[in-house]
Amino acid sequence: MLTHLVFWGLAVVAVLTGIAVFVVNSMARASYSLALSFIAVGLQVLLLQQLYVGVLVILMMVMEMTVMAVYMNMFMGMNPAMVSMNMVHGARHALPVSVGVFLLLAAGALFAPWPSRRGSPPADVTAALGTELMGPKMLTMAVVGVVMAATIVSGVVLAAHRTRYDRLGDDLRRPRAADPQPGGVGR
Amino acid sequence: MGVSGALARLALRHAHLLVIEVPGNWLTRVTVERLAAVRGWRLAVSPADADILAVCGSPGPELAPVVARLWEQLPGPRARIDVTRPDLAAAALDQAEAALRDTPRQRRDSIARDGRGPDDAPDGDTALAHGSEDRDGLEMDVLHVRLGPVLPDWPAGLVLRAHLHGDLIAEAQAAVVDAGHGPAGGVQVGGEPSGEVRPADAAELAAQRCDNAARLLALVGWRDMTQQARVVRDRLLAGERSAAITELARLRRRVRRSWLLHWSLRRVGPLPPDELARLGLAPELTGDVWDRLNGMLDRAALAAGGPAAVAVGTPVGVAAGVPVTPPAAVASVVSGWDLATARLIVASLDIAALGVVTDG
Amino acid sequence: MAETPVAVSGGWAPLAAGLLGTLAVAAALFDGALAGRAAGARSRMGRPVGEVARLLRQRRRTTVAADRLLWRIGGAGLLGMALMIVTVVPLGRWTLFDLAVGVVWVNALDVLAWAFVWLTGWGANSAYAMVGGYRFLAHGLAYELPLMFALVAPAVAASSLRVGEVAAAQQGLWFVVWMPVAFVVYCLGVVAMAVWGPFSPAVGRDVAGGVTAELSGVDRLLFLAGRYALLAAGAAFAVPMFLGGGSGPLLPAWAWVLVKATALLAGLVWLRRRMPALRPDLFMEVGWLVLLPAVLLQDLLVAVIVIGG
Repeated sequence: MLTHLVFWGLAVVAVLTGIAVFVVNSMARASYSLALSFIAVGLQVLLLQQLYVGVLVILMMVMEMTVMAVYMNMFMGMNPAMVSMNMVHGARHALPVSVGVFLLLAAGALFAPWPSRRGSPPADVTAALGTELMGPKMLTMAVVGVVMAATIVSGVVLAAHRTRYDRLGDDLRRPRAADPQPGGVGR
Repeated sequence: MGVSGALARLALRHAHLLVIEVPGNWLTRVTVERLAAVRGWRLAVSPADADILAVCGSPGPELAPVVARLWEQLPGPRARIDVTRPDLAAAALDQAEAALRDTPRQRRDSIARDGRGPDDAPDGDTALAHGSEDRDGLEMDVLHVRLGPVLPDWPAGLVLRAHLHGDLIAEAQAAVVDAGHGPAGGVQVGGEPSGEVRPADAAELAAQRCDNAARLLALVGWRDMTQQARVVRDRLLAGERSAAITELARLRRRVRRSWLLHWSLRRVGPLPPDELARLGLAPELTGDVWDRLNGMLDRAALAAGGPAAVAVGTPVGVAAGVPVTPPAAVASVVSGWDLATARLIVASLDIAALGVVTDG
Repeated sequence: MAETPVAVSGGWAPLAAGLLGTLAVAAALFDGALAGRAAGARSRMGRPVGEVARLLRQRRRTTVAADRLLWRIGGAGLLGMALMIVTVVPLGRWTLFDLAVGVVWVNALDVLAWAFVWLTGWGANSAYAMVGGYRFLAHGLAYELPLMFALVAPAVAASSLRVGEVAAAQQGLWFVVWMPVAFVVYCLGVVAMAVWGPFSPAVGRDVAGGVTAELSGVDRLLFLAGRYALLAAGAAFAVPMFLGGGSGPLLPAWAWVLVKATALLAGLVWLRRRMPALRPDLFMEVGWLVLLPAVLLQDLLVAVIVIGG
């Protein structure tokens, strides 16, 4: 009973803080409302006994929102992020669409003919969930993760203004890179 | 009353004071710092951190409003003291202690300030920042920040108007507060036409080098060595020469042997001799911040008459004057560095006095 | 102590909080004693007591256009974070929260430091505080990944994410002995999370106290207490992860946990005065080019030993 109450309480918190993202008037508050919303969802996942996934949702989302708040504040043009600003764009179309999608998904969740439980949950629900979701593609998914990380790094390297020729000279023979400010490992 | 009295007594054992040095009142500031440390008091890093505002010297027309604004920012209980001479420091600190202890008076002060905002309310919305290219060619917003005249471990009276990209100083203009306003102005009392400042004696010269070294060490966050440098400074000023020389030797040894400090300071703010000449800075500042820190300590040892003086072959006690640093040079050397590094570079210049010439 | 700890009722939570508080106060007293000795001041041990009295007597303040809600959340958050970390640290035979993924739990909590420290810097609407907040994130980018991978090593060796099982897996040989790199990186992470000693540029003198530049009174007290508590919680969590949990001769297991945590905490406190700061611009390269590969190699080594042995 208590678990049910907590679950529904968290659900309300998640939705309200999700709405708050669009109501508050600063980038920092919007980012952290979203973080709070995700934390509530993470706690719900914990209640579903998916401990690893739940804790991981909290971990990733807090980190992500911290970084997002930083990027929003740093890279918004002309820096309106530092002063109070409206968090909504094109509300006339966006609002009905998002409310409609929310209702559709919620209706789907409520009216779907969920199967009743057969047997009991396995000892390691995380492993079972992983196998169920990915099955024999586990290795592929693991490799894709590495490839994505490598893509991000290469993207940053390609986008960087200063190349290795600027740093190490045209023949790349300069013993020490010519950087505007020295780094920590003596390059 | 019993509880608040006991709280006040305990709190007073560890009051924090924000020291403001009016240019030319170096000895007064050092005396206040020394006497405060003996009481177990500490130096505050910002007005929010301070209980006591200690103004060393008489602020001129430009500094006075700054002091008033800082006074408003002290959270309270608070006390302000104006110390005009070193020998008045002890009495002034007693006075501050009494003012802080006086709970009814502090309560009245607090009530009088209630209802008033932190400063003035901002008129309308804050203006949008404008952008410009940073050193990597990225379009960045520019923030204008005035560094100084009151910052911990900052040369007295210096103001840098910095254009910041994030915490990177794109460019800066320098000025000295109250430049050219009587004896409390930009040039330290004793400034000579030769462009040098002559301290009263060699011990004072050495003490000032130690004080500047302590500031640099405080900025790199090495607490034990900061303390050690301040102890040497105070010993030199108290005339305990032999003890000071021994401890200075130990300080120099430990600084020189610290690879971590070397790692942190090498290649930061390099200044070749021709650059120094162009900027009007002293030739002994050649090298990076690491070289200049060690140079500072070497000069302290030389002036104090320690073993270094013998090694270099200079007669003991004969100390040359210290050159006046042009503010424009300070602004020039910090451009292109981030705030933390810029603070290190400024501290490494071993500033004794700032010239009155400002750049436009 | 071969068996894993049992979870006790939540009614014991105040005791856990009290123990954490005691450790934090002990750390503050020790730091005060070290500072007093260096300064040659009259009173030494009393320094933190006086500091607390001073901050309780001081008025709170605010700044122009401060985001007060986020500012206060950030300032008080560190303390809450430390309390949540110790819930999964077993005290000998007992633990408050026997979570199957306790190691990840601590990991999720240490990331909260990013949010809280940055918010404290952001909320004040002050340039120096903001610079301090960003400095912390710069440190965070350099220490967080190595810290995560450092926590992987003991978990792999014990084949469990349950803190009690990790502690129990160290019968005979403590993990610190054969995974020293992971231990050192973990300690660096704890020090960094508490914005302590070499990782204090975020609250540095050069930016007028950085994140803390505008804090006064009880707000400053909460932030400072949070830093000490985090340091204490980090030291306590190192005990089951690297220092053999409650194992040791003569004394009962709970006492050994406290002894080890206190010893490590004392070491971390002592470090503060002895080292210059690791500036974020320099430490960034160290984190990514030295610490991260080193700790990954450590993980590889541990994994190979576990599979082979």
